[in-house]
Amino acid sequence: MKRIAKEPFLAVVMLFIISCLFLFVIYPIVRVFLYPSGKELITVLSHPRYIKAIFNSLFMVVLSTSSSAFVGFVFAYTIARTDVPLRKYFKLISLLPLFSPPFMVAFSYIMMFGKNGIITAKLLGLSVNIFGWHGLWLAQTIAFFPIAALMMEGVLQSIPPSLEYAGRNLGATGFTLFKTITFPLARPGVAGAALLVSIQVLADFGNPIMISGDFSVVATEAWMRIEGWADVSGAAILSLVLLVPSFSIFLFQRLWVGKKSYVTITGKSTQIDIRRIGSFMRWFLFAFCSVFSLLILLVYLALFMGAFVNGWGFDWTPTLRYVREIFSRSTEVTNSLVFSLLAGGGSALFSMVAAYLVSRKKFFLRRFVDFTCILPTALPGIFLGIGYSIAFTRPPVDLHGTAAIIILSLMFWNIAMGYQTGIGAFQQISPSFHEAASNLGASSMRIFKEIEIPLIKGPFFSAFIVSFIRAITTLSVIVFLATSKNVVATFSIMNLVSDGFYGKAAALTCSLLIIAFLVLGIAKLALGKRFELFKV
Amino acid sequence: MNQAYLQIKNLTKEFLSAYQDEKVIAVKNFNLEMKRGEFLTLLGPSGCGKTTILRMIGGFENPTTGDIHLDDVKINDIPANKRDTCMVFQSYALFPHMNIYKNVAFGLEFRDLATGEIRKRVEKILEFVGLAGLGNRPVAQLSGGQQQRVALARAMVNEPKVLLFDEPLSNLDAKLRIKMRIFIRKIQQESNITSIYVTHDQEEAMTLSDRIVVMNRGEIEQVGTPEEIYSRPRTKFVADFIGKQTNFMTGNVLESVDGRQEVEFWNRRFSFERYPHLKKGDAVTLVIRPEMIELSAQEGVCNGEVTLVTYLGSEVNYEVTAEGQVFTIQVSNPLKTGIFRTGDRVCLNFDLRNIYLIKA
Repeated sequence: MKRIAKEPFLAVVMLFIISCLFLFVIYPIVRVFLYPSGKELITVLSHPRYIKAIFNSLFMVVLSTSSSAFVGFVFAYTIARTDVPLRKYFKLISLLPLFSPPFMVAFSYIMMFGKNGIITAKLLGLSVNIFGWHGLWLAQTIAFFPIAALMMEGVLQSIPPSLEYAGRNLGATGFTLFKTITFPLARPGVAGAALLVSIQVLADFGNPIMISGDFSVVATEAWMRIEGWADVSGAAILSLVLLVPSFSIFLFQRLWVGKKSYVTITGKSTQIDIRRIGSFMRWFLFAFCSVFSLLILLVYLALFMGAFVNGWGFDWTPTLRYVREIFSRSTEVTNSLVFSLLAGGGSALFSMVAAYLVSRKKFFLRRFVDFTCILPTALPGIFLGIGYSIAFTRPPVDLHGTAAIIILSLMFWNIAMGYQTGIGAFQQISPSFHEAASNLGASSMRIFKEIEIPLIKGPFFSAFIVSFIRAITTLSVIVFLATSKNVVATFSIMNLVSDGFYGKAAALTCSLLIIAFLVLGIAKLALGKRFELFKV
Repeated sequence: MNQAYLQIKNLTKEFLSAYQDEKVIAVKNFNLEMKRGEFLTLLGPSGCGKTTILRMIGGFENPTTGDIHLDDVKINDIPANKRDTCMVFQSYALFPHMNIYKNVAFGLEFRDLATGEIRKRVEKILEFVGLAGLGNRPVAQLSGGQQQRVALARAMVNEPKVLLFDEPLSNLDAKLRIKMRIFIRKIQQESNITSIYVTHDQEEAMTLSDRIVVMNRGEIEQVGTPEEIYSRPRTKFVADFIGKQTNFMTGNVLESVDGRQEVEFWNRRFSFERYPHLKKGDAVTLVIRPEMIELSAQEGVCNGEVTLVTYLGSEVNYEVTAEGQVFTIQVSNPLKTGIFRTGDRVCLNFDLRNIYLIKA
């Protein structure tokens, strides 16, 4: 306390951070819990319609998580541990969906494989109904395997090659080596990655709302409750149904899997030699990765075609109408861009300051700040959206239809990534830099300005870009908050797709993609090597 | 100059343990005086409090009690960035976002110096440490030895009253470590800068220091020149910690005759120079360095058996069991004396002039 009194500015910053976390993270969560009455809880949870939705959600979690984890692992293994041709391109392609709206896969597959799909109907002349659990399964697998692949690649990269050498030295080769050494070592990391994917599948709103048809899941039912019946209590209860497993998996993953990991990050990167694998296996992996890479590329292809075709499925004449519409009278793209820039910047700044305080200062509620900054990872977007809509769209805080409510929700939904990046960065900045600078005569302010800020610049911009891209591509968080006054692009896309206006929806999606990739490219150019995304 | 240049009085540092439930005394009632231009080493096992003392001098820790005076000024309450002390860190702590020049110039920029003057001083010091013309290199591209030189230059360029070294060589490989410690000693002698060096490596301490402070559990065991510390250890801890594989024997003082002392061990009498603080009847520990015992086939105490032979080229190390005790014996120039084999019966001859007695 004495030390805080000496630095009044620091005390104000701490107070600000703690108050914000209470108001914008804890308070909305508490409001969701308190909103429904016990009677409503029982009514909703015993209704056969919602029991079925819960069952469907669990079914999809098991199905899509397994397939995403499997495809992800094959990709990761191919990229990290083999000499399969074109593996660098497989990696590049598998990164694309990470910078794209998650619902994009479902939307694009409707255009490709649906009733009027360009592949199914036009090229093959089939009549296929993609709506339903099988379509959702395909879309979620493609949407979520890239994140699994990225995390698992990290796990595989960090297994010291010396262990595999030792295994080979003792006589294990080929599949035996994989089965007895590589996979057991990777298993905790792989399990951790699968658990994180399962949270995303559970919380996925964009894909089911577009492609699942009559097959209802909890996330979409929560939306229907408000959209169809204006029943906020019911939506709150359903979002709680999502939160409980999501939060449990999150805790389980952090407490149990985190500790079980055999992989220790030493900071020393060991050069991994690429070994030749059997030629059958090699071509199998090549074919496997090619098929899934193609499935990703088709997503983008269909979207870009869709933006330039008059009427998808019946009138294939090319047009610039939709592109022109976006440029002439489209507030949603501007809104998306502005809101996301503000949310991304705010989120990166907030999380870096919080990370600085937690890693460098001792203060009351330090553990609370640490926990609350990571907590948003465990919150399904739908849940946070409902939380904000309950907490901030009626007195005492009425932000209904404002830009502020969207910006704040996106900002605080994203602090976890920035915060973790920040903690890692401050850990890497050894306290001895601080001492050395002070020893050479620099004051606290000068140290912050000349040592901490330059060293934190890279992580700050990485956090900013990740937050920005997540903000501009999300649908679930803003679906309860967007109105005609503060509409954003993803919200419009959802409505356009459900009304069948594929052309405009595709053009809007493409403009989001172009913005996301442009920002990414600029950041990469400006920051070069210091720019690292999705460090997991 | 009659007053000591650096004076540390009754310095004590207490920490709270990790669970904050008990006090840990890191440094206990530490007193030390240093002359200007002296090179002093704090030597001791890890956790003996040596780094804590260095950090208190540098201003990174506050003493619980006690005072530090530098050049007649009490510096306890002066913040680290205003103290006239510069440290070379164990991890070097070179700022990774700056090149060599900027790292070295960093400290000078907080003084009222013209840019030209800063440049002149930096270039001079870089030349001094053998890095002339490399100012534009990013520090990340440097080898361990070069990083070490930059860290040294960055501290020295400020011409501090005291230069502090916190185990600066511990991250280098063995050969480079030997090269760098000779380098540091030369630089220090040329610049005559008062230096305090912390290490747990006795060879390093021996090579570098004018005086060594041997520490254990937060307290001073002995202060002295390298030679004093090695040949006249005051405590068993110092005798054991300094040197390799010191042999100890216990004996009793029998009587003092003609300025000499008779000491009994192994049921035999041996005559030593007189130690003023030892009386008849005192139990004593004999400190016998491995090189103070000679082996032969016939003369001396002849009930030894060779149990292990380690041939190192310029010397042979033996383990010899005699009178129920295992002795480590080092024989230099083995080609001249011949080499014993495991199982050989040998006689031990003690170099009595060099054996040192400690009151047990």
